[in-house]
Amino acid sequence: MQGTWWAIGTAVGSLLALAYYAFVVAPARLHRLRCEGLRAFARLVELRTQGRCGKSDVLADLAGAVAMRLGMRLHERRRLELAVYLRDIGMVAIPYSVLNKTGEPTLAERELLRRHAEISASIAEQIPGMSSVAGIVRLHHVVYSEQPNAPLGAHIISALDDWLRAAEQTDADFATSLLKQGAGACYHPRVAQAILSELSQRSLGGWRELTRSAALWL
Amino acid sequence: MDRRKRFWRWFWLLTVTAAALLAWSGAPLLQVRVAAVFVSVALLATVAELLLIRYPLRPEYRDRGVWLSVSTPIVVATIIGYGWQFGVWLDATVSLTAGLLMVYLRNTRFRWAIVNAAQSVLSAAAGGWAARPILDAPLIGQFLLAVAVALAVYMVVNTLLMSVTIAIVEGARLRWVARQAVLSLPRDIALMAPISAFLGMALLAYGAVGLLGVLAPYLALRQAYIIWAQQQVLYHQTIRSLGFLVQRAHPYTGGHLQRVAQWARRVAEQLGLPPEQCELVYEAALLHDLGKTVLDEQILNKEGGLTPQEWEHIKKHPQLGAEILKDTPFLAPIVPWIAMHHERPDGRGYPFGLKAEQIPLEARIIAVVDAFDAMIGGEAPNQQRPHRRPLSIEDALAELERCVGAQFDAQVVQTFLQVVREWQQHRVIGANT
Repeated sequence: MQGTWWAIGTAVGSLLALAYYAFVVAPARLHRLRCEGLRAFARLVELRTQGRCGKSDVLADLAGAVAMRLGMRLHERRRLELAVYLRDIGMVAIPYSVLNKTGEPTLAERELLRRHAEISASIAEQIPGMSSVAGIVRLHHVVYSEQPNAPLGAHIISALDDWLRAAEQTDADFATSLLKQGAGACYHPRVAQAILSELSQRSLGGWRELTRSAALWL
Repeated sequence: MDRRKRFWRWFWLLTVTAAALLAWSGAPLLQVRVAAVFVSVALLATVAELLLIRYPLRPEYRDRGVWLSVSTPIVVATIIGYGWQFGVWLDATVSLTAGLLMVYLRNTRFRWAIVNAAQSVLSAAAGGWAARPILDAPLIGQFLLAVAVALAVYMVVNTLLMSVTIAIVEGARLRWVARQAVLSLPRDIALMAPISAFLGMALLAYGAVGLLGVLAPYLALRQAYIIWAQQQVLYHQTIRSLGFLVQRAHPYTGGHLQRVAQWARRVAEQLGLPPEQCELVYEAALLHDLGKTVLDEQILNKEGGLTPQEWEHIKKHPQLGAEILKDTPFLAPIVPWIAMHHERPDGRGYPFGLKAEQIPLEARIIAVVDAFDAMIGGEAPNQQRPHRRPLSIEDALAELERCVGAQFDAQVVQTFLQVVREWQQHRVIGANT
């Protein structure tokens, strides 16, 4: 009898382990592989724009943490992370001379650069399984006052992208003050608040690491 | 003997042996009680067999692949519960019914339904016979051991039979196919063993109705397989999408990449590289120009000669391609080949100036095939390079031979010449027939 219970216990334990693997471990691994694949796209953009766009690892990390603070669910956070890696892929369709112009871009060039979000979204739509990400990618430069109902993920990327760029070009304190000023106008107020909380929790010494510019290869 | 004749001989050998086994083991099913259980279990197992998971084979085959089913634990449970004859008949019925439905629903070939059913019958018989001596003692430990043995033997025999079939159909070496197939066996056995044991217990305690109680773990098993298949799809998608970006950025590279990839795989096969390596060569060849997506398209598409500075700019593309992929671990094996596909045996290549054996064989293959295809150019006007006029195939091959030792590896060029000659012969035969 004891042997029977032991056997049943073993079988049930194995089945629970299998279920845990199938529904928890394997999907997480699949997501990680997907992110690793998309990292190549982000890297491509980073190299093409000489480090000005496409940097994604820091942004993905921060976006995930901010999304968690905002109570987004696991599948939404995963979608957001994929969007971070794909957001600038449209840059491959923008001429090299425009992307790497040393002076100020003309109005026409600015307009061309602005189209990258739309192109990124159309590329995302063509990658099987990524169509659900396209909505966030398309609006990843969204301005809160213009489109308050845009997906929350798009608001997160928009605010964090601006914060990271400003922190890289100037310093983290200035970038944070810009974020505070823009809350409710440029940036979604809840998103701005969550970013500020996340940043204050991370150590000040870590900011330099966070905003370190990628090396220029070209 | 050609491949077709070998296949049909294998087909008849499998079918006749399986039919003989079925005839020999059919008697127990004449009992009414067993027949009733058989029908209900067969219905459940057929549904399980039809919940197929598509497992892709190669990145360029969008619509081809292997269909996996997870009805094996049910068959193993019945072998343990009702004897090997029952399992053999159950597997034959289930795989044949599901196979015929596949012929109707998914337009697969009838012969595959027969081959699959025959393989299943032989595997079930082998599993049943192996477990028989252990089952004589009615102890729980013995029961679990019998399940493990029956499942392991079933899986090993099935894998080997399937490997022979694939080797004959694809014209590949049996050793290679079997090695690839056997790799996933421990994982499959470890996953299916608890399900088989649980199904066996349920079947013995409650009959066919007991199988319904194992529905949840069964679906978990299926989910695990779905995720593996998705990983494989994802891998191919990443390569295809990156290739698509290269093509979108520079239209002339589209057909070029496909052709180079196919030639490169053929050369790798001819050189005797293992199949998984041949696939990696295909993928590396597909992405070898990925670095060009980073370059200035005005220089890439420039008509006429390039200035030294412009050449220097273009020469960066192998390293840039490697740089793009360096943070993608599952593509790590192909990164050095992409970085070195413009190296030359005489050490005058770029970016590292490596010599002969310092350059990986895979990179040497891509170098030869890439140069050949660049010399002959594409058929469509937009696939022809702006700064070169295309050569004929014969002139391009002569040029490859002329540059052996300096620019190209001698062994690879010889093999490539053979591959092209074979292709030309097939093309002539195809045109004549």
